[in-house]
Amino acid sequence: MSTDFSTTGRSANRLGANGLDTTGLGAAGLGATAPVRVPRPVPGTADPAAADGPAADVGRASDRGARIAAVAIALVWHLAIGLPAVLGAWSTLAAPTVVAAGWLAACAIGGYAAHRLLHGLPPPALPLAAALLAVDAAVFAAAGREQLFAAANWAWTGLAWFLVVVLWGRPIRWMIVLLAGHAAIALAALVGDGATAPADLTRYAMYVYGTSSLPVAVFTGAAVIATLARERAATATATLAVRAERDAAERAWADRRARLALVGGAAEQVLAELADGRADPGDPFVQRRCVLAATRLRRLIAESDDVPDPLLHELRAAADLAERNGLPIELIAIGTPPPLPVEVRRRLADPLAAALADATGWARLTVVAGPDEVAVSLVTPDGQGPGAADPPTTPADDDQVEHVHERDGEIRWTQTRWRRP
Amino acid sequence: MAQAMSGERPVGVSIVDDHPVVIDGVRAWLSTEPRLRVLATGDDPDLVLRAAPEADVILLDLRLRGRMVLDKLAELSADGRRVVVYSEHTDPATMLAALDAGATAFLAKHEGREHCVATVLAAASDRPYVPPALAGAMVGDPRPDRPALSDKEREALLLWFQSMSKASVARRMQISEHTVKQYVDRARIKYTRAGRPAATKAALLARAIEDGLIRPEEIGIYRSQASNDRPTP
Repeated sequence: MSTDFSTTGRSANRLGANGLDTTGLGAAGLGATAPVRVPRPVPGTADPAAADGPAADVGRASDRGARIAAVAIALVWHLAIGLPAVLGAWSTLAAPTVVAAGWLAACAIGGYAAHRLLHGLPPPALPLAAALLAVDAAVFAAAGREQLFAAANWAWTGLAWFLVVVLWGRPIRWMIVLLAGHAAIALAALVGDGATAPADLTRYAMYVYGTSSLPVAVFTGAAVIATLARERAATATATLAVRAERDAAERAWADRRARLALVGGAAEQVLAELADGRADPGDPFVQRRCVLAATRLRRLIAESDDVPDPLLHELRAAADLAERNGLPIELIAIGTPPPLPVEVRRRLADPLAAALADATGWARLTVVAGPDEVAVSLVTPDGQGPGAADPPTTPADDDQVEHVHERDGEIRWTQTRWRRP
Repeated sequence: MAQAMSGERPVGVSIVDDHPVVIDGVRAWLSTEPRLRVLATGDDPDLVLRAAPEADVILLDLRLRGRMVLDKLAELSADGRRVVVYSEHTDPATMLAALDAGATAFLAKHEGREHCVATVLAAASDRPYVPPALAGAMVGDPRPDRPALSDKEREALLLWFQSMSKASVARRMQISEHTVKQYVDRARIKYTRAGRPAATKAALLARAIEDGLIRPEEIGIYRSQASNDRPTP
């Protein structure tokens, strides 16, 4: 991309090389396009909910389906498998009220976590996970030897799904650690209830494996899918950013070329005539054409500058040049011009710059700007010349910018005026 | 005070400035006009006032020894002193603040002899005089509570500010020079509504009505204040 850019910069200079010193213009053009900046994609962070940018958005969107599935599995399992089992085995449980209270607590924790998750907010993982493990321990203790491996001990199978919901979006190792905690609690219950026969331990191993593997798989799968989606989106964003930057560079180049063509019209011919010896540098008419071309060049350079008040900046550039040529000039600006399209600014400033090139003696350049109207005016003494008293003329009017020129033998008065349509 | 111009007596002027060279320059300008006489000069408004209490017009530099003296200006104006502010501070906000404080006129220091003499003479008879810089400040006034000017008044102010030639403005607007002056002066009179009350504003307004420049009902606030026996806002 940077290669592209310098190429366009070079070709702009090459374009202007036919007899014109355009280094200033080229540099100004380059300066104007350099600030074009397109936001770069942010690399995905560990916590997708906290990350920002389009890639994170895509990651979150694709993650949403998986969240809904995880929440549905956990709650449906809890309601459809856990609840009937607890109620059915009520009389055979060691402390049925504790098991039921645990069921309700898990329901509340899971519900809260699900609510946060479905609204795009990460649940407070560690407090909720700790609470779940406490519930886990209580339920195991309250289930009793008889129901230890039965469905009424709902924590065996149901808890892991709640952990999936609570730990959503966190690193997988958290999940492994907490499942290990869950297994340790179960083992402690086995020892406590005296179920340490080889058959019990085998069952225990089967249960741990069976109840953990599926939640881990879902948890891992969802994380992988979200990461892939984020990466794909990041790649797409980067590609778009590159394309946008290239488009901006191309447009800036086209603008520069158009401006060069404009300047070419002003300066090329007179320079060529001077070079060929067809024009005499001593001829006041030729001198005037040169001043006019220089004023125009200076203004066009100013036009591409990135300044808060472009119209005033452009007029100041023209005034600077006139002053450097020895013309005392007074520039008074009242009010702040609203943002104006470059075409309007050009139509406001060009007649003034041209009149300034003609000025002798002194000049008064004024700008009065309001939000809906901008009036620019140049008054200079009216020297000798044909038609010492022109009536007001309004050349090249259009609906937006009015241009009036007048001379009365004492002053020459050029005025341009823009009114908000 | 109003008969200052009617009799033979010349207009007495005091000059307050902290630069002797400026005082000398202004004195030289004013001396070209036989109707004007400089009575006292100095850099302290109170001392100058004590030296010549009968002065009709005070030319006051807005910045004395590094300080803006808008408060002093307001005090003098409230006492009915006709103060012509002249200053190198020609940003519109400062000019409008001076008018609000009761200055009879505002003159930019660069505006030269002709405007200076004309301003002082107009001020002595409580008549408005709007030099181009002040016209610019008025036409570009961005304040939401600015006086409502008519389109013609705005146009006259704008063109006068731009060209500094009433003849050119008249030709452009296709009206007489006299009418141009009327539009500009009417706009100035409307500014007597803004800011705090001052005896000088009352005098300007009264003279404008007397001269037929403006009708009392055109100054909305003026009428309501008049009913309370207070001549100006």
